[in-house]
Amino acid sequence: MRLTVLVLEDEPAVREALERDLADLADVIRLEAAEDVPDARTVIAELDRDGDLLALVLADHRLPGTSGVDFLVELLADPATAVTRKVLVTGQADQQDTIRAVNEAGLDHYVAKPWQVDELRTVVRDQLTDYVVARGLDPLPHLRVLDTARVLPLLRKLGDR
Amino acid sequence: MSVPSTTDPFSDLVALVVAPGELGVELCRQLAAGLDGLATVELVPDVDAARHWCAASGAVVVPLVAVTDHVGDVDAAVRGLDECAPLGRARVLLLTARGIHTDVAEVVDRERLHSVVPIPWIAGALGGHTRSQVLRWLRDHRGGDDPSDAQTQGQELLEAPGSALLRDLELGPEEVTARLLAAIERALGPRPRLRLPSGVRVTRQGRSVDGVFVVVEGSVALDRDTPVGELRLHHDTTGPVVGILALAQQRRAFFTARTTSDVEVIHLTLEQLDRAIRTEPEMGAALTAVSIRALARRLRRSEQLQVEKVELNRELTEERQRLRDTLEQLEAARFELIEQARFATLGELAAGVAHELNNPVAALTRAASYVTEDLLRLLAAHPQGAVARAALDEARTRPPRSTAQERASRRELEQALGDSGLARRMLAAGVEDPQRATELAGDETRLALVEAAAGIGAAVRNLDVAAGRIGELVASLRAYARPDAEPAPVDVATTLEDALRVAGHRLRGVRVERDYGEVPLVMGHPGQLGQVWTNLLVNAAEALEGDGSIRLTTDSPAPDRVRVRITDDGPGVPVEVQQRLFEPRFTTKHGVVRYGLGLGLAISRHLVEQHGGEISLESDERGTTVTVLLPAAEPSADTGGLPCD
Repeated sequence: MRLTVLVLEDEPAVREALERDLADLADVIRLEAAEDVPDARTVIAELDRDGDLLALVLADHRLPGTSGVDFLVELLADPATAVTRKVLVTGQADQQDTIRAVNEAGLDHYVAKPWQVDELRTVVRDQLTDYVVARGLDPLPHLRVLDTARVLPLLRKLGDR
Repeated sequence: MSVPSTTDPFSDLVALVVAPGELGVELCRQLAAGLDGLATVELVPDVDAARHWCAASGAVVVPLVAVTDHVGDVDAAVRGLDECAPLGRARVLLLTARGIHTDVAEVVDRERLHSVVPIPWIAGALGGHTRSQVLRWLRDHRGGDDPSDAQTQGQELLEAPGSALLRDLELGPEEVTARLLAAIERALGPRPRLRLPSGVRVTRQGRSVDGVFVVVEGSVALDRDTPVGELRLHHDTTGPVVGILALAQQRRAFFTARTTSDVEVIHLTLEQLDRAIRTEPEMGAALTAVSIRALARRLRRSEQLQVEKVELNRELTEERQRLRDTLEQLEAARFELIEQARFATLGELAAGVAHELNNPVAALTRAASYVTEDLLRLLAAHPQGAVARAALDEARTRPPRSTAQERASRRELEQALGDSGLARRMLAAGVEDPQRATELAGDETRLALVEAAAGIGAAVRNLDVAAGRIGELVASLRAYARPDAEPAPVDVATTLEDALRVAGHRLRGVRVERDYGEVPLVMGHPGQLGQVWTNLLVNAAEALEGDGSIRLTTDSPAPDRVRVRITDDGPGVPVEVQQRLFEPRFTTKHGVVRYGLGLGLAISRHLVEQHGGEISLESDERGTTVTVLLPAAEPSADTGGLPCD
């Protein structure tokens, strides 16, 4: 059972850059990319099949067909993905789109393009930690990609059992 | 009294009395006496009998029907009588013993009640009253259109009214004045005439009046001081006696009366007037007639003014409404101008920024190629340079693939290597062949080299793509603000392809079909035409909302015409919106200013018209087609159309 980070971005160069910036985590987590919403749904189906968890989605807003915000709203509505951490990585969402993402999709974070690598990595680390804490998962297998200070109490509690 | 024998207009007249018993007989007698030589009298007891009599009598002519209150409801009775046409034309005389009637509303309203006489009537008066009623009927019905005809026909019969007042009222104005003067002079002896030039005030507004002027000749106007200046209120309506109205107003003159021509007047003090009225019997009637005439004219004039006032008020209201509408339009126009000015500023700003962007873009593009060149030099000296160079070149030129394809390749590698992290590294390094991947996996040094070289190659490729994109955006931004200098022969297909590139990021998810025909070149500015296509493409893409297709068609409907059609299969534009689409500043996005949108169609039309062309839009629920018709360039200008690759 692996934690999965899904990158939803239609521009190949940008998608490639995001993947490369997160490549260091790829030996611990499952890193997946999708160029549009239908492909993202395919990825989610594959995760289910493999028994992996969708922990975090990094979505662009402007996409062909269904928009990123719409996809995040969809995720919140599905009990299986409601706890998935949701982050917009975009330069093109206007205020209204963003308000909708916060109010209707339970947006957890907003990363403006162009992003800073350190910032991106911190956001991913924090969000993954939030996911593990929220679901009460055993942090041990994922420790390298988590905020150790925050998961220590969780570790102790599990150790007490 | 003789009846004219030639026309004999009265021989067949019958007055009808509708009354029961003794009363009927007595009435009959009275009427017969009054109408002697004018009409015969018939008696019936009630309304039913009257109808029967009328129906039986054929072409009888009935000038008068006398009914008594014994008929019961007067409205109903007259309605019954009117059913027989000859009775329906008769004048109706009602004799009543009742003190009050509440059953006559209809007959009064229909003008079917001409006279009311109380019972008992004054002995001897009824006959004369009846006679005058019949004479009036004669004047109305036998006089025809020409009253003088009636006068000559029944000269002796149609006597003038008995009262001096009524007689004087029927005279002309000069005659009334003459009669008044005669009466005055009979009473007071000859009066001296006063001759006055034009402009003399004979009464003054607000001053007391203790005499009157009788105007013998000439005209006098009546003026009044008002808050808006002195107004001439009466000219035509001034009567021949000036000052008489003041007598009814505590002797203060309401007007200033001023002569407007040479006039001749006589002056009478109030005492003299009083004496004349007392001693001369005709004086009162003459003075009353003069006053009533003047008052009636003024009253009519004032009623006319009332009507004019209402009409003016209505016009004023309409005018005010028009003014309000105009003001609103003006306000809207002003807002539009401000918006346009803001847009122009935005355009200049964008052009300025675009210009500034050129330097960093140039530096970026060059830097990417220097990195490549220097790296190739480095690799030339490296022992495994050939391997690294191959990885670099492959990554630089690798065509973009879908995420689904990448996942499939990765899965294949995972199966071969049994390690997902390693599979990801291989894929990033451009190694897809499982066998080669297996070989590389065993040589960590070599793998690191290939990874690094492929990473640089991919980065350089992305740099080039990004710099190219910025360059295109800069070019399109500049085209908005700076038209090309000289028109030149242009291939429209090339400009369409340019526009597709510029608008590419807005067309994601949209299928683009091209149907370019062999068409002549057009004279124009490629940048401006490109801007037109970009606007139209972006509009079409917005309508499709990222799902649908756009079809570009070029053809030549006439040898000197090039036609470009841009068709989308979106939901179409509502008819009411279509009419305003080409107006400046109209946008279906609630006035949100967007670059290249909102003003897009207005700008497009402006640019097309500058090229001597036309733009039109057709839309229904199956989609929208914008058609642009451009004049072809002179055939001598260049070779024929270049097919677009």
